[in-house]
Amino acid sequence: MAFNTLFKKDIVVDSGKLTAKQRRFAYTSLTPILLYMGVFTLFPIVWAVVMSFFSYSPIREGSGFLGLGGANPFIKIDNYIELFTGTSKPAEVFRLALKNTFMFTALVLPLNLLITLPLAVILESIGERFKTLFRAIYFLPTISSSVALVIIWSYMYAPGWGLLSIMFKAVGLVPPKSWLQDPSLVYFGVPLAMICVVIAHVWQDFGYNLVIFVAALQSIPKTLREAARVDGANAWQEFWLVVVPLLRRTVLLTSVLTVISSLQVFVIFQLLTRGGPKNQTQTLLLSIYENAFKFANNLGLSAAMSMILFIIILILTVIQFRILRTEWEY
Amino acid sequence: MQSSKPKRPSLAFVLGKSGAYAVLIVGLIGTLLPFFYIIVSSLKTPAELRQTPPDFFSKTPSLDNYTTILKDKDIPIAQNLFNSIFVSISRVVITLFTSSYAGYIFAKYHFKGKNLAFGIILIQIMIPFQVVMIPNYLLVVKLGLIDSLWALIIPAFIDAYGIFMMKQFIEAMPAELMDAARIDGASEFGIYSRIVLPQMGPPLASLGIFTFMATWNDYLWPLIVLTSPEKRTIPLLVVWFQTAHVSNQGLVLAASILTLLPIFIVYIFLQRWIVDQATQSAFK
Repeated sequence: MAFNTLFKKDIVVDSGKLTAKQRRFAYTSLTPILLYMGVFTLFPIVWAVVMSFFSYSPIREGSGFLGLGGANPFIKIDNYIELFTGTSKPAEVFRLALKNTFMFTALVLPLNLLITLPLAVILESIGERFKTLFRAIYFLPTISSSVALVIIWSYMYAPGWGLLSIMFKAVGLVPPKSWLQDPSLVYFGVPLAMICVVIAHVWQDFGYNLVIFVAALQSIPKTLREAARVDGANAWQEFWLVVVPLLRRTVLLTSVLTVISSLQVFVIFQLLTRGGPKNQTQTLLLSIYENAFKFANNLGLSAAMSMILFIIILILTVIQFRILRTEWEY
Repeated sequence: MQSSKPKRPSLAFVLGKSGAYAVLIVGLIGTLLPFFYIIVSSLKTPAELRQTPPDFFSKTPSLDNYTTILKDKDIPIAQNLFNSIFVSISRVVITLFTSSYAGYIFAKYHFKGKNLAFGIILIQIMIPFQVVMIPNYLLVVKLGLIDSLWALIIPAFIDAYGIFMMKQFIEAMPAELMDAARIDGASEFGIYSRIVLPQMGPPLASLGIFTFMATWNDYLWPLIVLTSPEKRTIPLLVVWFQTAHVSNQGLVLAASILTLLPIFIVYIFLQRWIVDQATQSAFK
């Protein structure tokens, strides 16, 4: 005790000098980090925003700063107007991509929850050793390379000899001639290729939400569930009246995170279906990529697309932080 | 409450339990079957792979596909492997240093503008990659880093998420230890390197593992900035294989499995910990 107070006293005496030295250290250390952030994060954001108001192609030698101006003219909000009302090919593909991205997300979220929530409840109810084992295996696809997983699914969906076709035949069903390439196969307004991508993506991704739900279930105090039992609740009532309300915040938060990540899925669309057939699986990020790096005619238009995606994600992020900030206690 | 006489499990309980395991095992098969199918398929000969309908298992399983891609002189797989390892390890080392160092400053120093500085760093978490993808590409072109592995490393020096994680961990460290070192004449950097850093094993390990996995699996950014075959990372090699070797799919499968392998090996040893860390990080 005395030892401690001695130290404390010393610090108080020297405090002015020490803090000046410390402050200098903090500033000199942070300056390069912030400068770096300026170059590689802030500057690109501003650049992207500004570029979205220009007709810009890196091939054209512009006149102004960063080649914006002159041959790459300022066109106000024309890129945005073009994207939403224009009749050019990129604009039409963009609107389709926007629709597809929303469709994909709207299918992924319920399918994911439909699998992960019941599975988490079952997983939580079994013994500790098996729980760890199952959890580890369900989580495996989420840590795997997306590229390798796409190769795996191209084997699942291969026409005729793919595993899914074999399984269909084994149970007496007629598999579609082509899982990923026939634009005429549409079920309840959803193209078959889109369904296939949704399934492959949910398979790859469900482990995340699963382990989060298991952890959330484990954190519910046993006393609450026991209290419900004592009050005469059966297992079903205990689940719906005690567990579900306590899980609400977790499910809400996980749903927002799932939506945000679904909007940004790229690899599977670029490699498994390549946006096809007939743009049925063309998504926002794929359009941005193709316009910017494959066709490279107007990066301003691509930048405008990325801004639209950004605004959607930003709104969701704000919602996410709102949920995170709500105080929650059992 | 313990009941006095041992209760025999009821029929409903037994049915419920076996039902639970049945569902879990179906899920297990669904998760593992796709992996298993390409592993057994990678052992097939080209003829067996083309056969319709195919056999699930090869009649003459061999590792030929693996030896072919590892030995073929036209495929710079050794170079590609080296690229992936080099980029992943560089990024892990740099991220661990910048995250712990900046995290230390944000956790233990009080100065004017600290909140603003931290806010600037947090912007990186808020901004999705695809927003800065185009300007970052143009920046990399201007810096002359196109088709260089440095294009994967230099823009990734700072990981806002890592700084955030480390800051939270260091905040919980007692200040007395640092003050004591200060009185003993340690420099501020010395406190970081000799007092703070040695205590940071667990959070650094988890940040390191997640950085390694993310870099190893990264695809979109390398696809944009790397062009020549000898600069490719492993995922780019696999994709190139898929388009170049349509006639011999066995090679594509072998390459995919080689991509998965390093991560799986790490995962076998650290699975419990990785899953726990991933669960926790979702709520920060």
